[in-house]
Amino acid sequence: MDKGKEMREGQSENGNGDIISSLLSRARHGLWILRHGRGGARVDLLGKIGLAIPAFTSILIIVLILSFLWFESIPILTSDVGGPAIFLEPTWDPNRDLYGIGIFIAGSFASTAIAIGIALPVGIGAAIFLSEFCPTKIRGAFRMIVEMMAAVPSIVYGLWAFLVIVPWIKESLAPAVQSNPVTSWIPFFQGNTNGLSLIAGGLILAIMLLPTVISVSDDALRSVPQSLREAALALGASESETARKIVLSAALPGVGAAVVLSLGRAVGETMAVLMVTGNSLQIPYSLFDPCYVMTSIITNQLGYAYIFPMWRSALFAVALVLMLMSICFTTIAKIMIKWGSKTRGIV
Amino acid sequence: MTEEQNGSRLERINKIISDVPQNTRSMLHKVRHATRRDVSDWLFKGLFALMILVAIAPFFMLIAEIASIGLADLLGTGPGQGIELFTTYPGVGLMGGVLNAIVGTGTLVAIAAAVGIPLSIFGAVYINEYSRPGRMREIVEFAADVLAGIPSIVFGAFGFTFLVFYLNIGMGMVAGGLTLAFMMIPTVMRTTQEALKQVPLSLREASLALGATKWKTTWSITIRAAFPGIITGVLLAIGRVMGETAPLIFTAGNNLGAPTSLVGPGSWVASMPFTIWAYISDPRPYLQMRAHSTALALLLIVLAVDIVANYASRKITRRIV
Repeated sequence: MDKGKEMREGQSENGNGDIISSLLSRARHGLWILRHGRGGARVDLLGKIGLAIPAFTSILIIVLILSFLWFESIPILTSDVGGPAIFLEPTWDPNRDLYGIGIFIAGSFASTAIAIGIALPVGIGAAIFLSEFCPTKIRGAFRMIVEMMAAVPSIVYGLWAFLVIVPWIKESLAPAVQSNPVTSWIPFFQGNTNGLSLIAGGLILAIMLLPTVISVSDDALRSVPQSLREAALALGASESETARKIVLSAALPGVGAAVVLSLGRAVGETMAVLMVTGNSLQIPYSLFDPCYVMTSIITNQLGYAYIFPMWRSALFAVALVLMLMSICFTTIAKIMIKWGSKTRGIV
Repeated sequence: MTEEQNGSRLERINKIISDVPQNTRSMLHKVRHATRRDVSDWLFKGLFALMILVAIAPFFMLIAEIASIGLADLLGTGPGQGIELFTTYPGVGLMGGVLNAIVGTGTLVAIAAAVGIPLSIFGAVYINEYSRPGRMREIVEFAADVLAGIPSIVFGAFGFTFLVFYLNIGMGMVAGGLTLAFMMIPTVMRTTQEALKQVPLSLREASLALGATKWKTTWSITIRAAFPGIITGVLLAIGRVMGETAPLIFTAGNNLGAPTSLVGPGSWVASMPFTIWAYISDPRPYLQMRAHSTALALLLIVLAVDIVANYASRKITRRIV
């Protein structure tokens, strides 16, 4: 046991050289300490081993989850009813062995695009106000409210959206834009609606994204050195010009990372979107069409799909898409942060 | 309108202006002599201020909506209202309180915390204090970041397939608690690492120079110095898993009473988010009310946990990548 741990130890620490002899000497040294060492040394070694076990367990769990989705989705990706083409197929009908997950990807993209389109300008504007212009007395209160918004459970957002936003869309928003000659001709506003629609999902997602965008962008804006602001003001720029053109562009990598991360959250949001998008198997062509997103199909059908291998595997292919998107977003955010620290010296 | 009238009116205005205090006067001076750039400056500031108001308005609308219906239930005197909401099981026709959900959430969070917190804290301490920085460590950190961004329903699907069927634990509090524990691991691990990184190296060096062993240094110096940050991470993770519905739909089941055993059908538990979801889909009006009061209770608990977490250490709260 101890020997095994010691060997793994050595492996991770000495990438090259004569590994075997170094491992053996380390193991022998460890055993010698265990047998003859004084109290302190023995406790030291045992503590190191005791900490290594949870470390390897948690790393194992992380690796297990990441690889599990891949193994579960292999059957559909290699069978003749599915294949990699399911990512583009628009027909989902497990009764006829049609497992096209294209509509879910389209639904997720559409609702995420609406959400980010709303949350991006509002969130960045709010972050600029919070870090640049906000009176100090109320700044703490605003920051606290934003933090609290991030902590609200998604089921509570979903409850509120289901009972407030959905009826509002049905009774106010849809009649207003559809009876109005200025907007009624726009194809995005066509179609009857009962309120459960793409725009409802986009709105509640935007509300849920705002705290992430605001607090992360606020952190990025705050870490811009004061001297940049002073230099811009001394050259005669007005305060808002300084904020928009100097501070924002200096903090661009951090703000970009905030946006990318919130994109990942939007794609992965489950309960609130499930409750308001109407869950209809179609590609939304208008803002008032119902749609079906990737997380909803897993939530709704995994329970029935469990005993059908292909069906279940198709649902895990959806989960795989979610995971790959998550990996993409995390990587892009990391690259942006790295770019920021390389070009600007700040995050 | 003649020249004299115009002039006298200007004089009158100037007199009024010269009477107001200095700071108001200088503001008025700015307004009267504003250039286009000044005006656009004010407009932009106003726009940014409007945006923060737009951004936080939904939070208050949400609280007002949930409280207006939920408080009627919390302060009422009917069956399952008032204090009975927290002290009675649903009973016949779900007329009673939601004690089953409160017990269930308590059990699940306790199991998740008992498994997830030690694993992730000790793991983070090992990775940060004992392993050498390098590619291996970067990969582990990246994997934890990826896992932190993975949707909750994917954890639910993993828990359902892997824990419930492959490991054959069966639905119930063990599977649900373990799924929540897996969700906690990346959050707690990364916040703990962040807290440990902020402990200055000089503290460790001083301790080692005084003859303390590595174990003693880690245990009594490093972890103690990083404690507020670690507590913040733990509380944030607890607040997050407390409100999760999606992972529990497939792993924890539902129960109208308290769980009676550790495994098997007796171990199925309800949870507060799941109860809200189940009640809001029900047409009976008193269940809609019950959903609001449960949501209000959950919201208050989660916000209280969040405030305590922020109070413990403000630095750690939202680290991202």
